Amino acid sequence: MIEVQQLVKHYHGFTALKGITFTAQPGEILGLLGPNGAGKTTTMRILTGFMPPSEGSARIAGFDILTDSIEARRRVGYMPERVPIYPDMTVEGYVRFWAKLRGVKQPHDGVKSVLERFNLYDRRRHLVRTLSKGMRQRLGLAQALVHNPDVVILDEPTIGIDPQQVIEVRESVRALAKTHTVLFSTHILSEAEQVCDRVVILNRGEVVAQGQPDELRRQLYPGDHLYVEILGGGVETGLKLLGAIRGVETVEPQGSGFNVLARGDVRSLISERVSQAGYKLLELRPVAMTLEDIFLEVVKRRTPPQT
Amino acid sequence: MWIVFRKELGQYFNSPLAYLIMAGFLFLTGLWFNSDLTFSVGTKAPDPALIPFNLSFFMVFLAPVLTMRLFAEETREGTLELLLTAPVRERDIVLGKFLSAWCFFSILLLITLIYQGILISISRPDLGHTIAAYLGIWLYGGATLGVGLLFSALTENQVLAAFLSTSVLAFLWLGDLAGAIVANIDLARVIREITLQGHFSDSFAYGLMRVEDVVYFAGVIAITLFLTMRVVESRRWR
Ligand SMILES: Nc1ncnc2c1ncn2[C@@H]1O[C@H](COP(=O)(O)OP(=O)(O)O)[C@@H](O)[C@H]1O
Ligand SMILES: [Mg+2]
Repeated sequence: MIEVQQLVKHYHGFTALKGITFTAQPGEILGLLGPNGAGKTTTMRILTGFMPPSEGSARIAGFDILTDSIEARRRVGYMPERVPIYPDMTVEGYVRFWAKLRGVKQPHDGVKSVLERFNLYDRRRHLVRTLSKGMRQRLGLAQALVHNPDVVILDEPTIGIDPQQVIEVRESVRALAKTHTVLFSTHILSEAEQVCDRVVILNRGEVVAQGQPDELRRQLYPGDHLYVEILGGGVETGLKLLGAIRGVETVEPQGSGFNVLARGDVRSLISERVSQAGYKLLELRPVAMTLEDIFLEVVKRRTPPQT
Repeated sequence: MWIVFRKELGQYFNSPLAYLIMAGFLFLTGLWFNSDLTFSVGTKAPDPALIPFNLSFFMVFLAPVLTMRLFAEETREGTLELLLTAPVRERDIVLGKFLSAWCFFSILLLITLIYQGILISISRPDLGHTIAAYLGIWLYGGATLGVGLLFSALTENQVLAAFLSTSVLAFLWLGDLAGAIVANIDLARVIREITLQGHFSDSFAYGLMRVEDVVYFAGVIAITLFLTMRVVESRRWR
């Protein structure tokens, strides 16, 4: 549904995108994850037809964004980073305007349903300028969806709103799965993990990793992370004991226990050795790696230390 | 194009500024009309081109005010980004906005026809003269609105846009005076050819319709709209 091939974007001598490639399948929620300045907005602006790439190509629902720009744009709903408003329009007028501009001939029903969906129907006669930040964000979603586009592109839709609204927005985005292809950018890793089916990690204009969140975890950390707590013996004893187990790669003290990184399943071995040594095993549990850890690791690997 | 046109026209009638302009406009034109009428009593025929003629100067200020919002606000609010990702061409956006401004101006002009109605009811004005003068100011207005639109697209600051276009229009208007005082007759003629006044005050204002003047105003409109489209397009490259 979204195919991106070797996109490059130069801004007056500065290269914001250095040849990125990824695809999004129909009905998929694809996360574009990266720190500020990674090139997320730039990528989205190219895909929405706002600006042309310097090199490379992209297709939306099979339409090339350069040669078939109008057709491609017809199939996209876009919510920019900062929801742009016409302050003097009513909520309903605003959404209707975007519906008509994107080719909806009879916008009435679509406008109504999208306003109801985002809890704005009661306020349809209010001026856009009177809406709170959270409501504006929902208005942004409403205008992006009013023409029922195949592809929805949302640029950091949860930025700058309060936690309750963040949850609402994430749920709204999740609800789009299957019916729409969504490209969703964020710099919050847990959010990408929670909302997206698949994640493309972007850093300094390059794709540094992509895949399903748990797939990424496996690729980057083939081993298991365990947390082990032992009763009896000191830190030294524990380090020695655990470190001697076959398959264990690293052991680090963590709180009152140890973080163990191992290849393969070493849980039974650990419990065996601990009791053989005359100690008691208080806790032994796998630690799920968050994208956060993966991300830090990937960025560390890709960015050579500055000298 | 018509979607943009309708939205912009709606914005005019939604904003208090537009009503303020309308009220001020009626007041001013009414004043001109009345004073001319009083002045004319028993001495001369009332001038049917009076309102268009006075408006030709007034447009130096009115056109920038009517157009300053059109692009500057979209750029500042960021709606231009969304507009440029909608499946419409720059051409339609620019034309829609321009026509909405011209349409609003035409409505203002139509209202002043009331005065012409009064004139007809109390005297026997030269209708050809009236029609030519109105046609002239209508085209003249379109050209000034085109200049205003161009400057609105060039900056995201409305006030700056209005200031710049007023300056340029004032220059185009005063250029006529410069043409009158320049000693070199050829230079003076050239100056008169490029100024707004030169194509209005000697022709339309006297009820004269000259092809070259129509072409001039149409040309100014076409050029400013073309440049505006290029400027809007260039927003994609920044
Ligand atoms: N219009 C522009 N002109 C020059 N540089 C830009 C422009 N827009 C973005 N950049 C630069 O390109 C890089 C990527 O920006 P952006 O795509 O906005 O990143 P993100 O959305 O991931 O934070 C940043 O370093 C930014 O400074
Ligand atoms: Mg961004």
